Amino acid sequence: MSIIIKNLTVTFKNKVTAIDHGNLEIPRGVFGLLGENGAGKTTLMRVLTTLITPDEGEITLDGIPYREENYPRIQSKIGYLPQEIDLYPGLTLQECMEYMGTLSGLTKKVSRERTDYYLEKTGLAGQRKKKMRQLSGGMKRRAGLVQALLNEPEFLIVDEPTTGLDPEERIRIRNLLVDFSENRTVLFSTHVVEDLAASCSRLAVMQKGRFLYAGSMGELLEKVQGHVWLCKVADEKRARELEQQYHVSSKQLGEGGVQLKIISEEQPQISCIPCEGTLEDAYIYITGKKKS
Amino acid sequence: MRIESKICLPFYKIAYAVFFTGVLCLIRGVTYTQEIGPALESPMALLAAVFCADTYIQEILSGRYQIQRLYPLKNRLASMAKRLMIQEAFLLFLSAAGYGMYLLVQRPVLLNGEERGENSSVAIFLIYLGAVFVSLLFWGLLSHVLSCLFRNMWAGIGSCLLLWTVTNSTVGDKWLGCWNLFSYSFRDLEDSGDLSWLWGKLLCVAASILLAYMLPKIVKKRG
Repeated sequence: MSIIIKNLTVTFKNKVTAIDHGNLEIPRGVFGLLGENGAGKTTLMRVLTTLITPDEGEITLDGIPYREENYPRIQSKIGYLPQEIDLYPGLTLQECMEYMGTLSGLTKKVSRERTDYYLEKTGLAGQRKKKMRQLSGGMKRRAGLVQALLNEPEFLIVDEPTTGLDPEERIRIRNLLVDFSENRTVLFSTHVVEDLAASCSRLAVMQKGRFLYAGSMGELLEKVQGHVWLCKVADEKRARELEQQYHVSSKQLGEGGVQLKIISEEQPQISCIPCEGTLEDAYIYITGKKKS
Repeated sequence: MRIESKICLPFYKIAYAVFFTGVLCLIRGVTYTQEIGPALESPMALLAAVFCADTYIQEILSGRYQIQRLYPLKNRLASMAKRLMIQEAFLLFLSAAGYGMYLLVQRPVLLNGEERGENSSVAIFLIYLGAVFVSLLFWGLLSHVLSCLFRNMWAGIGSCLLLWTVTNSTVGDKWLGCWNLFSYSFRDLEDSGDLSWLWGKLLCVAASILLAYMLPKIVKKRG
């Protein structure tokens, strides 16, 4: 299962270009999508789920072109967890999942079996009798993921699945996505860089509708090596001056002053030592580089 | 069906519909049994328009349409049809209950009762039930289809209200006559042999068939 996007452009009625001539190949496995708010991640996902028809460009899913006549075939291969969704508040978790399963085309028996399986997998089995409205934000998010997994899609699209989850829940969901990605494609969009670092081997970085980077995690990390510096300044005033001058990815107050992690093309004009960059630093580096 | 009922008939909808019908039976006076039908038909039609407007719109408001879009269209349409059937059945039951309440609370007398015979009360009720069923079907479906078309519940209700105001007026009666959507309410109560009002109901049925034909196309196009 692979998705190939060529020259994709989406412009809204208000003339805002959400995706600008984007090219991307999404292979098997968990593929991360990283970008600031308004970068175009959700629009891309909505195009891939056939909710939006692009103005220009071509998309193929496993060789099937995105055309209206192919939509039923394409849609049957996709599972989707949108960013914002309110599942039937008056139904119990079990009823809601089984109902959505049968609506997606599963038989009642299969829907019940898969609901049981995925509720167990996501740690929601104990909550099955609770009404949807009684679940916490994190539980609702997990329930949303269960509904996306029910028809065992070949291409799973998850828009910020870890939002509102505590660290333990986040790890559980990440691991579930990795397990699920065997022989499938999972497109995982998030703001949380750690989640991508822990689950993806390949990713794309978006900014203002354009793909700034698409490739492996290792290559992205390599890009930032030699551009991350650690320095210590005596007071807050000096730290603020440096923040004005450089991209500062972390700032820690200590006994000897303020320690800053600076991302810069060249070595900063102060006393500093080079250090290893993280995925977050790499993200700041490539998005910042484009800004400058 | 049980789950669809839970989705489309939440407590607040049942409560406002029962309250509306109860208040109507108390405030709108009737003298003759034959007047109960006209007193209930048009308000129940308006209630159907409001009641059924969110049949699918609730999926849009909650964001669930984004997922439903991936489901087979026939499953989505079947789910809508079930919801409409459940709501229409509830409203029909409520219309019948409203009729009973009128009889109990206002104790109307039969117009020309001596000429009509003992069984005429049952016949009047059954004719009312048939007429109100057609009205509920048409107005509920119209509101649902328009809401799906505009992807907005209020646009659906507003458009229905406009049509309801025109057809449920003396001007509407004058213009449309026996073809009026509310021909049953405007019929001559004293002339029980005049069945020309059936044309209006036939128009409602024909329009409902047309709406049911258009619905899959609208859902496919508008999501």
